[in-house]
Amino acid sequence: MSTATAAARPLSAPVERAGSRLRALERPARRRPRMLYGLVAVAGALAIVIAQMVLSVMSTQSSYEMSRLNAQQHELTLQRQVLDEELTGLSSPQYLAANAAALGMVVDESPSYLRLSDGKILGAQKAASSTSAITLGSGAVANKLIARTPLVTDPGATIDGTDQKKSATSTDHVTPVPVTDGLPTVRTH
Amino acid sequence: MVALAVVLAVLGAFVIRLVDIQVVNAKENIGNAMKYGLSTTKVLAGARGSIVDANGTPLAVGTLSYTCQFSPDNVRTITRKAADGTKIDVTWNEVSTKIAKIIGQSVDEVRAIVSDALVANAHSQYAPLGKSLSTEQYRELVDLGVDYISCSPVASRTYPNGAVAGNLIGFIGSDGDPLAGLEQQQNTCLTPTDGKLTFQNGKDGVVIPGTETVTPAQNGGTLKLTIDTDLQWYMTQLAEQATKQMHAQYATVTVLDVKTHQLKAAAEYPTVDPNDFTAKGSYRSSRIFTSQFEPGSTFKGITAATLIDTGAATATSTASVPWLKHFANGAVVNDAFRHGVSNYTLAGVLMDSSNVGASVFSQRTTLQTRYDYLKKFGIGSGSAIHFLGETQGLVHPYQDWDNQMRYDTAYGQGLTTTVPELMTAYEALIDGGVKYPIQLVESCTKADGTVITPKLPEPVRVISEKTSAQMREIFENVALQSNSYADLVKIPGYRIGVKTGTGQISNGHGYKSGVYYTTMIGFAPANDPQYLVAVTLDEPTKVRSSTANAPTFVKAMTQVLKTYRVMPSTTKPKILPKFG
Repeated sequence: MSTATAAARPLSAPVERAGSRLRALERPARRRPRMLYGLVAVAGALAIVIAQMVLSVMSTQSSYEMSRLNAQQHELTLQRQVLDEELTGLSSPQYLAANAAALGMVVDESPSYLRLSDGKILGAQKAASSTSAITLGSGAVANKLIARTPLVTDPGATIDGTDQKKSATSTDHVTPVPVTDGLPTVRTH
Repeated sequence: MVALAVVLAVLGAFVIRLVDIQVVNAKENIGNAMKYGLSTTKVLAGARGSIVDANGTPLAVGTLSYTCQFSPDNVRTITRKAADGTKIDVTWNEVSTKIAKIIGQSVDEVRAIVSDALVANAHSQYAPLGKSLSTEQYRELVDLGVDYISCSPVASRTYPNGAVAGNLIGFIGSDGDPLAGLEQQQNTCLTPTDGKLTFQNGKDGVVIPGTETVTPAQNGGTLKLTIDTDLQWYMTQLAEQATKQMHAQYATVTVLDVKTHQLKAAAEYPTVDPNDFTAKGSYRSSRIFTSQFEPGSTFKGITAATLIDTGAATATSTASVPWLKHFANGAVVNDAFRHGVSNYTLAGVLMDSSNVGASVFSQRTTLQTRYDYLKKFGIGSGSAIHFLGETQGLVHPYQDWDNQMRYDTAYGQGLTTTVPELMTAYEALIDGGVKYPIQLVESCTKADGTVITPKLPEPVRVISEKTSAQMREIFENVALQSNSYADLVKIPGYRIGVKTGTGQISNGHGYKSGVYYTTMIGFAPANDPQYLVAVTLDEPTKVRSSTANAPTFVKAMTQVLKTYRVMPSTTKPKILPKFG
């Protein structure tokens, strides 16, 4: 800037006044620095400092947020674990068999097949017997996880057959639907 | 000038030191920073891989249990502020009563843990409260809000189906080491790789942003078996019933898918519930893989196949067979039942399971040929499964066979085998004559998705396809015309083939009297075998011969045919003559 100022103010023409007299050059008036530039620089510096502080606060804040969410996740993981533990073993074949046996179901030994093309019955060709091919419901194939879990189909019993105290409500829920002929029908007028 | 030189010198010194700290000794400094507590390192535990069955049903899964401990020195009455600002005293008496209820011990026992520890050391900081506590118990303990209890999670293992396949899967000890079965044999597949999380934390435990470095943990692989859980359960139940009904020592039921050479069930009783492997009456290994036995008459099938394949006889070749025979070399062989001199066909010898018949026919080929075929069928070489502690049968070299053994080996005495060897040999006998390696493990899927399948030996042709077809006919006729169990092995609608064996049991210096190891092995459908089932009983005493296995075999085979929807046969069997 100062170079440009100097270039805009050349020495007075020496040719015209040649030989007249020499005199000291006027000192060029120094211009005051503009206020705006200073303000911009200071504001910029301030802005940077503030931005950094804000970012820092925000990241610290989100760090707390993360910490809280982590704690929440931990809590949910624990809940899931508890539920998983309650459920393990309920899908085992032992539990299914014991529940089926409590309903009076049996394993039919030999199946029959109906061939659709000619309507012929293949296989055992007789009605299923009421005796089970294998004993169901006893805890022969042990499973410690469900040994003392009450059966769904008979809440008073467990897979080991040891009767627990029957809860008062367990029988209240079971209201047998009267079956007269085939499917139960709704009686309306 | 001097001032400038001083400034430059100091500056230079700083620069050198900076480079020294930041570049030259950077590693060491970072290491020291980590070491002297500027940061925290947490081990990220990987989870042990699951074991699943052929349908993906989990048989073994990784879970967490909790180990809790007291700090007895800190046990005291804790004063707490309630919501309304009043102070509440929580006494040790109250807390110990609650703890006792949570962990299912008596109050006195819980109090004794702490008082005993304090007697031993007045400033005791450690007394174990409980191991293998469930998540629910852990949460209840934490909710007590007392500072003298601390808990840490421990990786543990749960077996959702209990004793189903327990003897195959094995179990994990309390220290996390696999102790038996596939858990131990396949440990490399299942073991996870631990990861690491390093970070710096502030006073309140919050992670300082940007200071974390994570090396993620690698979970263990998923081990997929060829077993079908439901079928395995059914067969275990059957094995239990057979053991009890026949007053036997133990029973095994094994199912092989002939088309894929995979074991679909390998059940036995007694077995073990891996959730409770110390329970009374558990058998902690698999007898299917770890015991050997003298097979008895099931090996007449191998003798017959040897004769047919070498052209020494056909299914209808005949021989004169008395019930008791003194051979020229001094050996004596007798049948299990008395009969006059009969003109048995080779098929007939198998139908009535005549020891004399098998011995007489075996003379039509050389000892070496018979030995070579036994070896080719895989007798004495175990299975490709290489189960933990798997044993092998024993066939002495034919040069060592004495006068009696030369005939004994023709009907399955004087040598031993195992269930997997018998299954492998019979699969070759009935399904085209090629011996395939049988499988128990289908694959191991690593955490990154790579699937590793077990390396298997190449299939080997043992007998021709034609011989195999004849063997199918012979075994089907055994099922139809056996003099002792033909009416016991009928499955309505299906054509099946069977063979039994009643093997003597060594007691170290001779044979046990009156007790046998009995086998029934069979396949269906007889014209196009899809499943091979073997039932063995050790020392049944209600029925002492292999007829004891018939009811269990029929139930097992019926269930297999039902499970895999094998349609009833629509063709008629070819009847072979018993006598010539």
